[in-house]
Amino acid sequence: MAPLLEIRDLHASVGDTPILKGINLTINAGEIHAIMGPNGSGKSTMSYALAGRDGYEVTGGDILMNGVSMLEMEPDERARAGMFLAFQYPVELPGVGGMSFLRAAVNARRIEAGEDEIDQLEFVKLVRAKAKHLSINDDMLKRAVNVGFSGGEKKRYEILQMALLEPVLSVLDETDSGLDVDALKIVSDGVNLLRDPARSMLVITHYQRLLNHIVPDYVHILAGGKIRRTGGKELALEVEESGYVGIDDAA
Amino acid sequence: MSASMMQPNLDQLAGLTGVRAGALSRWQETGWPNSRVEQWRFTRLASLEKMDLRPASAAAPAGTEAISAVLPENGVILSFSNGVLDVAGLAALPDGVTASFLSENDTALAVLAALVPASHPVSDLSLAVMTSGLHLEIAGRVDVPIILVFTGDDNGVSSHPVVSVKLADGASTVLAEWHQSAVGLSAPLMAIEVGDKARLDYAKVQHESAQSAHLAATGLTLGEGSVFEGFQISVGGQLARLETHITLTGENADCTLSAIYLGRANQHHDITTNMSHAKGHCLSNQIIRGVLDDSARGVFQGKVHVAPDAQKTDGQQMSRALLLSRKAEADAKPELEIYADDVLCAHGATVGELDETQLFYLTSRGIDRDTARGMLISAFLDDAIDSISHPALAAMLRPVTTAWMTASNRSETGDK
Ligand SMILES: Nc1ncnc2c1ncn2[C@@H]1O[C@H](COP(=O)(O)OP(=O)(O)OP(=O)(O)O)[C@@H](O)[C@H]1O
Ligand SMILES: [Mg+2]
Repeated sequence: MAPLLEIRDLHASVGDTPILKGINLTINAGEIHAIMGPNGSGKSTMSYALAGRDGYEVTGGDILMNGVSMLEMEPDERARAGMFLAFQYPVELPGVGGMSFLRAAVNARRIEAGEDEIDQLEFVKLVRAKAKHLSINDDMLKRAVNVGFSGGEKKRYEILQMALLEPVLSVLDETDSGLDVDALKIVSDGVNLLRDPARSMLVITHYQRLLNHIVPDYVHILAGGKIRRTGGKELALEVEESGYVGIDDAA
Repeated sequence: MSASMMQPNLDQLAGLTGVRAGALSRWQETGWPNSRVEQWRFTRLASLEKMDLRPASAAAPAGTEAISAVLPENGVILSFSNGVLDVAGLAALPDGVTASFLSENDTALAVLAALVPASHPVSDLSLAVMTSGLHLEIAGRVDVPIILVFTGDDNGVSSHPVVSVKLADGASTVLAEWHQSAVGLSAPLMAIEVGDKARLDYAKVQHESAQSAHLAATGLTLGEGSVFEGFQISVGGQLARLETHITLTGENADCTLSAIYLGRANQHHDITTNMSHAKGHCLSNQIIRGVLDDSARGVFQGKVHVAPDAQKTDGQQMSRALLLSRKAEADAKPELEIYADDVLCAHGATVGELDETQLFYLTSRGIDRDTARGMLISAFLDDAIDSISHPALAAMLRPVTTAWMTASNRSETGDK
């Protein structure tokens, strides 16, 4: 069986600048992989390339989900195929009501699966229940998407979306940054609830402490647009102690 | 003025007297404005040249054609076909509304002429040509919406309906205009007097066909302590100008005049407003939103004038345009003329595009690009639409923007 995600020799540029310089990564169903790496090493670029963002041009290699190349797919098609990106910087959408946004996303997924649109009341109940786990109150749900949310609230709202969309592959880009200790626990619990033999996650982080909560199967160090080292969760501890010195990023 | 520009056949007007004769001679002197006239710099009327128009005659109107309006169910409809009022509709007017005809009433015409924008060619032309002249007086509280529906199917005709409405002190009513002609030029002239402590909820939809032109001149005065909540949507027509002049003639008047224009293909929409604070302690608020696709062009000209003794004026105006295509173009010309010192006035104008980051965020959640665009355009328009508090008018206006977006998505998908 093909792995859930296979990244093959991925090269990507932003504008004319090559950022990703040959990434190879295979994630099997049920696995959690963590990616660490210095600022500017290309972690977010990789997450955008996976999600298919315009302007993050794949210049070589391939991205396969369940053996199918995603390069020709638009971001919405990738999302409906089961990919989810929790943004490092979630985007504010003034005037776009939170509930109608969440419902549009859930319905897009359901229609793709040949299901009916979700019943309005059922949907409200579902959102409330998931929101409660993440300590998201009704007031936040009623507001426009991400507008006036604190940094930590935005991150929790990303996880709420993930919980509603039940993706097969979740890419979490620094979801732990800006979270206080309690929120970190809440978010990690939310993520762990979705752990499942059929789902995989790619967790981008700078901090080992997140990985105490969301325990990864593998840790990769990305530097200079390439994965320089791969190890178990102890690699995160090593980075925490000695930083990225000694990791060869001569590109 | 170019000699070949549309010249209405004015023979039938021989023998006019009084106000209309005056209007006719003024119009004959000035004619259509050319682009050297400052207020018409952005909106050129040369395309009228090709239309070879004659004013509609006062022949019996054809039946009202099917219109795409979702009109308030309990409303009373007055139909104008090719600019001519179907007088049978007057019988259904609710209690508190009295109708009369303007063409014979020189006193009423003089009042009307003083209210409408003097700088607008339609003011004089439509007064002179006048395919129908209706005057409505409103007394007391009239809850039944009065809906003026203007249709036209006569090729080469210019329609010149003239309507004046007077709300007595303390009166209130709901008034809507729906314009949907298949061809020709619509040149409606409206004059509305809102008495002291009166309230008017008003909406206008310019939904002419893509072959038509619409040049409207509307004038209002707002009395002391009155409330005016007005909204205009310009979505149809090849060339459209909705020009509205409002004078706040009494203290503590509260005036909202919002507008949306939605353009595609080579449409040209012009929203021109003139908000004149003659007395102090009044509030005026204008929210203008435009969305332009293809090679459409949008113009907003908004002047806020505050007279020397109109102290404690609060005059706000914000115009924003959203360009969906590189060939679309928006111009905004906000002007503040403030002669009082103790006022709170602000205006702003922006032109922008849909935000790619926001679109990516939406699509990354599985929402297709067309739907995502629609969500962002709706969000953009909502601040303006939310300013309509009358439920029946809001219910009439919302489908207009929704239908436009649906059609927009269809054409975008077609282009790909
Ligand atoms: N839109 C852009 N325009 C120009 N350069 C960009 C753009 N996006 C990313 N880059 C560059 O690509 C490189 C990688 O950026 P990226 O955001 O992927 O880093 P990162 O590993 O996520 O960093 P951080 O840990 O700070 O989040 C950086 O040098 C950055 O300046
Ligand atoms: Mg990053």
